[in-house]
Amino acid sequence: MAKKTVNTIKLGVFVLSGLLFLIVMLYMIGKNRNLFGPAFVLKAQFENVQGLVPGNNVRFSGIQVGTVKRINIINDTLIEVVMLVDDKMQQIMRNNAIVAIGSEGLMGNKVVNISPARSPAPFVTKGELLSSRKVLNTDDMLQTLSKTNQDIAVVAAQLKIAVQRVNNSAALWAILNDETLPQNLRSAAANVQQATARAAIVASDLQSIIGSVKNGKGSLGAVLTDTSFAVSLHDAIEKIKGVGDKADELAVSLNSVITGVKQDYNTGRGPVNALFKDSSMVVSISKSLDNIQKGTDAFNQNMEALKHNFLFRGYFRKLEKQKSKENRQGFAAQ
Amino acid sequence: MELPVKTSEFLKQTGEASAFAGRFFKEAFRPRYEIAEFTRQCFVIGYKSFPLIGLTGFIMGLVLTIQLRPSLIEYGVESQLPAMVGIAIVREIGPVITALIFAGKIGSSIGAELGSMKVTEQIDAMEVSGTNPFKYLVVTRVLAATLMLPVLVMLGDAISLFGSYLGVNIRGVTSFNLFYTQVFDVLAFGDVLPAFIKSFFFGFAVGIIGCYKGYYSAKGTEGVGQSANSAVVVSSIVIFIIDLVVVQITDLLNLN
Repeated sequence: MAKKTVNTIKLGVFVLSGLLFLIVMLYMIGKNRNLFGPAFVLKAQFENVQGLVPGNNVRFSGIQVGTVKRINIINDTLIEVVMLVDDKMQQIMRNNAIVAIGSEGLMGNKVVNISPARSPAPFVTKGELLSSRKVLNTDDMLQTLSKTNQDIAVVAAQLKIAVQRVNNSAALWAILNDETLPQNLRSAAANVQQATARAAIVASDLQSIIGSVKNGKGSLGAVLTDTSFAVSLHDAIEKIKGVGDKADELAVSLNSVITGVKQDYNTGRGPVNALFKDSSMVVSISKSLDNIQKGTDAFNQNMEALKHNFLFRGYFRKLEKQKSKENRQGFAAQ
Repeated sequence: MELPVKTSEFLKQTGEASAFAGRFFKEAFRPRYEIAEFTRQCFVIGYKSFPLIGLTGFIMGLVLTIQLRPSLIEYGVESQLPAMVGIAIVREIGPVITALIFAGKIGSSIGAELGSMKVTEQIDAMEVSGTNPFKYLVVTRVLAATLMLPVLVMLGDAISLFGSYLGVNIRGVTSFNLFYTQVFDVLAFGDVLPAFIKSFFFGFAVGIIGCYKGYYSAKGTEGVGQSANSAVVVSSIVIFIIDLVVVQITDLLNLN
């Protein structure tokens, strides 16, 4: 067996380089996990840590500053997260910073995000409990989404009914299928346009009238603006008032006349009293009326005798004939 | 009841190999130590294997990166290529591929070397001359294999990652800084340490099986070839079995 030459330097370099790579690798991992630098503890409390585990990263404004050291259950609604944060952050983080649990990407690992509150506060101290904020997790989002979906389903069902009704409505389809409709609509639109144009003209006329009224032109203008007219109106009203006063006076004198008549009647003086109270006068009037009746009767007889006279008989017969003819015509019409 | 010949032969060999391993531990911790021979074996087993391991590691990193890229593009996570390749190399590909190459190179050479010494009765001569052949031949080789394989795995990982970096840059542009930041960002102690520890077991398995096969080689030239061959085959299988066991243990310990 031939002895092989041993180069111990080469062997040493080989072994050392292998170990060096191992050490570098472990150091890099350790540095990422914040195991070697000086660190201090911060705490935060949550209702739900959403799958956070010890070793997850802690980020301050998006920069890796530490890891989750421990997760303690305090009671059924409170979980305490103990974080190991780089000592250098003690001169940067304020104690009003807010802690929230997030995730790396949509499906990635959970991370603890510490974000600064933009108001002055003292720096954090070791072991301090920071305030936490509840963030939306995927379950909550899905629950909301499910509610929204239900609402959409209801809306869709109603929309379906509405569309079916529209589909089944013959009147609507008749309107839609009516080919003259567009033309009618067009002419209606044209009419509307004309009407509007006229309305515009009317409005402008009105405007000019109002303008002239304002300027005191025309009778209305005169009414509204002429001061002499106001004076004469005032005079007229004064006169009407004077007439009214005179009517008042007339009523008063009429009243005094009636009072006089009444007094005459009661006291038995004057013609009124004679008319109403004198009984002899009543008798003479009654006699006069008797005489008049007798006279009328006698005249009646004279008239009857006159009818039968041959001189007038022809005229009366003609009169009767005409009357009976009119009666027949009336029946026929009915 | 007679066991089939193959089964009884298998059980006999397993028992013998276990006894051989026990004898190794007994002899290893007893003075005197063959330091010079151990250093020489380290040089031969470790340093001389480095070019082969380096080349295969480099090619594995490069090829793995190129092969993974289309799948990752399909899922739109091309940017995760360094992280993915880093995990694959450090956890599994690095140790196992290195150990298999190592078994092919070192297992066969140990088996053939000890086998031919056995056949030419050099081992018997050593015993007569007062040198403990087990200590001088077996302990030094097994120890060298056990300690050198982890070093080779680490260097192989480094070269694989470099190959992967080149592979990433064939189609895309990633600075070396970003590459190693991404790789070390995803790696954890739970990825590196189990891989590192299991490479000791791989090295020990390759060394002990090669030595056993050579030490108990059958007489004749044919026996030498057979012991070299079976040393490679058995140590490769044992490497996979150890890998399986280690993965179960790390899984149980929640190191995954």
